[in-house]
Amino acid sequence: MGSGETADTGAMAAPPLLSVDGVTLRYRTRAALVTATWRVSFTINQGDRFVLLGPSGCGKSTLLKSIGGFIAPDEGGIRLRGREIGRPGPDRMVVFQEFDQLLPWKTTLDNIKFTLGASGRLRDRREIEARARQYLGKVRLERFADAYPHTLSGGMKQRVAIARALAMEPEILLMDEPFAALDALSRRRMQEEFLALWADIGFTGLFVTHSIDEALLVGNRILVLSPHPGRVRAELINDGDRGLHDHIQGMLFDERFETGAGI
Amino acid sequence: MSATDESGLPVVERPLSAWQRLSGVTALRRGLILVLLAVVWELYARWLDSPLMIPTFTDTLAAFGDAVVSGRLPSMAGTSLRVLLMGYALGVLLAAVLAGLASASRWGDDLLATLVAMFNPLPAIALLPMAMLWFGLGTPSILFVLVHAVLWPLALNTHAGFQGVSETLRMVGRNSGLGGPRFIAGILIPAAFPAILTGLKVGWAFAWRTLIAAELVYGAASRSGGLGWFIFENKNRLETASVFAGLATVILIGLLVEALIFRTIERHTVCKWGMRR
Repeated sequence: MGSGETADTGAMAAPPLLSVDGVTLRYRTRAALVTATWRVSFTINQGDRFVLLGPSGCGKSTLLKSIGGFIAPDEGGIRLRGREIGRPGPDRMVVFQEFDQLLPWKTTLDNIKFTLGASGRLRDRREIEARARQYLGKVRLERFADAYPHTLSGGMKQRVAIARALAMEPEILLMDEPFAALDALSRRRMQEEFLALWADIGFTGLFVTHSIDEALLVGNRILVLSPHPGRVRAELINDGDRGLHDHIQGMLFDERFETGAGI
Repeated sequence: MSATDESGLPVVERPLSAWQRLSGVTALRRGLILVLLAVVWELYARWLDSPLMIPTFTDTLAAFGDAVVSGRLPSMAGTSLRVLLMGYALGVLLAAVLAGLASASRWGDDLLATLVAMFNPLPAIALLPMAMLWFGLGTPSILFVLVHAVLWPLALNTHAGFQGVSETLRMVGRNSGLGGPRFIAGILIPAAFPAILTGLKVGWAFAWRTLIAAELVYGAASRSGGLGWFIFENKNRLETASVFAGLATVILIGLLVEALIFRTIERHTVCKWGMRR
């Protein structure tokens, strides 16, 4: 590992995989320049399941897209393994909330193969095929390799999207409320599958959600953000403590009264 | 009451009667309507008894058969289709360039919007006099009006299709490292394909009508032939049955392209992808 330039965090034993440093994000609407996040900082270590948790308007999705390279920060910097991130790239694969993230003109297998090939991650056609099948197997959809996305259920589509992202073996998997559009039962099952995948493959993930339950279920570290503009409220380690839920709820609840803003 | 089986539940699947099944076949229903129309035509023409105004269905059929056997109709249709394909290809090419420009920059977008607003309402055939001045009495003039007929509806539909591609799909494409021409070819064109296909169909229909009209006006001068010319010539000779045969050929070719070519493309693309039922 040639990480000579990452001597910024001082005493930390291992340098963080991803560091977000005083990031302010703004976007322009027709009427105004909106500040989505205000000087947010955190670091993610290899193997983390890091959760950005907060109500609507806390800029958590915008932050994820910025790490993905889709929105440039107004202020501050984002570094992956010490290198400033630039454009979107296959080292930061994103899984979106929307079901239409699969290319409808390609079968599930071809969706995975397309991303592998287009990004130049793999060149050899047999290798691409093998890798795509391997990851489709990991989400238990090998039987649906030749199915078109419109024939799949919402949960299956999200599993394909996750397989497609993981097949790229990215440095970090960015997930933007991937289960929010699912029904409660499928969501529960997907959350458990996500954990099983993590145990199996051992990737690093950044997970955005507005659900405290989901955050506590999937995350090992949780960053609580407060809204308007998004700021860091607290950074917590999910040690399975039963009181954590109420603690976070209290924080988010207080915030609403403090700022006078509803959700 | 509904039939039940021994367990007391209603029968899950009951076969339909033969009539119900047959009337479910679209081709059969439409074929029946066609036959009925032909019978009405035949009876009316016989009652009218004026072959100069309206020939009977059987006379038209005979004239059609003669023109096909003599090779005159196929060669005329061939001439028309050749010119049409050239004009269509040129129009598609130019539409692709315009739509590409429009999605690349705001100026290109404004250019397309302005040009479409100006030229889309202008019937292509209205440009024929100018085209004849500019390009003379030959195929180039017809090509010019054909391009005009195809270009605007196709460019408009393609551009609208590109604009309709969801932000999520765009981000997925960029996440895979696609940009520039690879992004357009890999994401935008397939994602906008339903709209592009509609543009191709509208463009085809416009071009076909324009071509026949142009040949009618113009075939006499250029002697280049074509179906329009076939119709015009037979009208001058008062061969009304042959005029009808020519018209029928125009309809047939239009229908065949729509039903065979475009339906097939549709079935193998947008229908298979679930982007259109």
